[in-house]
Amino acid sequence: MPTPPDILSRPRLSLGLEGSANKLGIGVIQHTPNQPPEILSNIRDTFVSPPGTGFLPKDTAAHHRRIFVLVALKALRAANITTSQIDCISYTRGPGMGAPLTSVAIGARTLSLLWNKPLVGVNHCVGHIEMGRCITGASNPIVLYVSGGNTQVIAYSSNRYRIFGETLDIAVGNCLDRFARTLNISNDPAPGYNIEQLAKAAFHSNPADISHKSPKTREPLLLDLPYAVKGMDCSFSGILASADILASQLYVAAKKQKQKNTDEDANPKFTPADLCFSLQETVFAMLVEITERAMAHVGTSQVLIVGGVGCNERLQEMMGTMASSRGGSVYATDERFCIDNGIMIAHAGLLAYETGFETPLEDATVTQRFRTDEVFVKWRDD
Amino acid sequence: MEGNAADPAFPCSITVDIPFPTARLASVALRALRVDKELSPLVSRDLSAVAGAGGDDSETILRTEYKATTNRMLRVAVNSFMDSAALVVEVMEQLDVDVLAQQQQE
Repeated sequence: MPTPPDILSRPRLSLGLEGSANKLGIGVIQHTPNQPPEILSNIRDTFVSPPGTGFLPKDTAAHHRRIFVLVALKALRAANITTSQIDCISYTRGPGMGAPLTSVAIGARTLSLLWNKPLVGVNHCVGHIEMGRCITGASNPIVLYVSGGNTQVIAYSSNRYRIFGETLDIAVGNCLDRFARTLNISNDPAPGYNIEQLAKAAFHSNPADISHKSPKTREPLLLDLPYAVKGMDCSFSGILASADILASQLYVAAKKQKQKNTDEDANPKFTPADLCFSLQETVFAMLVEITERAMAHVGTSQVLIVGGVGCNERLQEMMGTMASSRGGSVYATDERFCIDNGIMIAHAGLLAYETGFETPLEDATVTQRFRTDEVFVKWRDD
Repeated sequence: MEGNAADPAFPCSITVDIPFPTARLASVALRALRVDKELSPLVSRDLSAVAGAGGDDSETILRTEYKATTNRMLRVAVNSFMDSAALVVEVMEQLDVDVLAQQQQE
């Protein structure tokens, strides 16, 4: 059914459902005329796999199915609303992992039919961007979208989020997550977070002193890793392979020590903390470079970082240094919004619904590949 | 799984009937589940709502007919379908309008 013409004169609500990776996020957002959007609830549950492993599609989908009802109930109760107040049900159409996406879409369709509410399929990347804009108030920034599944430099132009540069192979978050597996680092709460903490430990002789307040007692070793920026794009599989090779030297040395076969000179002079530090410094410098290139091209000084890797304080710091050298600033959100969540889907879905957009039930499928620029951003008139 | 002489290309088949309390719920399950296409060309699926064995004509049963080239493909497809159907049933059980309204009264 078409959007009623008077919808913009009253408050609107959307329930958002996100599950493209290992986080199931469900939230309720409210758009009120002449007021900033209000988050009524934002509930998330993360599927964490054991150290040394990644999350596989089948297990992730099983996790989402297992807790879907629980998370949905929490989101509805926290929002304190009735289903009749909801205008539309927004769900992640893609991009992402197939089985997890499908499991959430099935839940979304069932709710749509039970509650008799329209569905809106949302692009996950656009969800991140719109939530970032909403939370930070950045008007027209270059967007760096960096997560476990995506790495894109985006600029808005004529009703589309255009991809200026991107990874040619794997996402930067995927590079970090897979390196966490190599080092057998815990995946709880997220492998990237633990790599960040270990990188901070490279500044301390005592690995236990990683709080900001401890004075830095050590100069971290910046190891030589390949730096792969290719014009506006970048590539991470080579640097991951190099980091893995360096990590294997640590294992060989550790193994030799166990066998009491030590040759002191054969011990590598670096630690896992140095490896994490070096990996972060190198990949983040690459991201700063391609972001700066896009900023110069477009002529803007604002940078908005969205996506799970955007939580990383070192990345924010490096980007901030670059942005202020250009007379600009970096905008970032906290972990409630940079990590995958249902609210961003609800927000982007409601924005689309308010322009008359709706996804018919028969077309309410999912897709693993969904380019950011495929979405017609009708709700912006700039 | 008996061989299906009518379709030699898909010799392995099974029909799964899931009864629902009402025709409305069977219809919701049907419309929610039939949207996704089968991933493999070696598997074919047909969903419909049919009437129960009792005198009542209302279509309260979700009938799923699966055909596949091998038993392994059939098993994988049916197991995956059952997982999805289980989610649909759980959502109906705990998130239907009447269930939520009742909870809010408590």
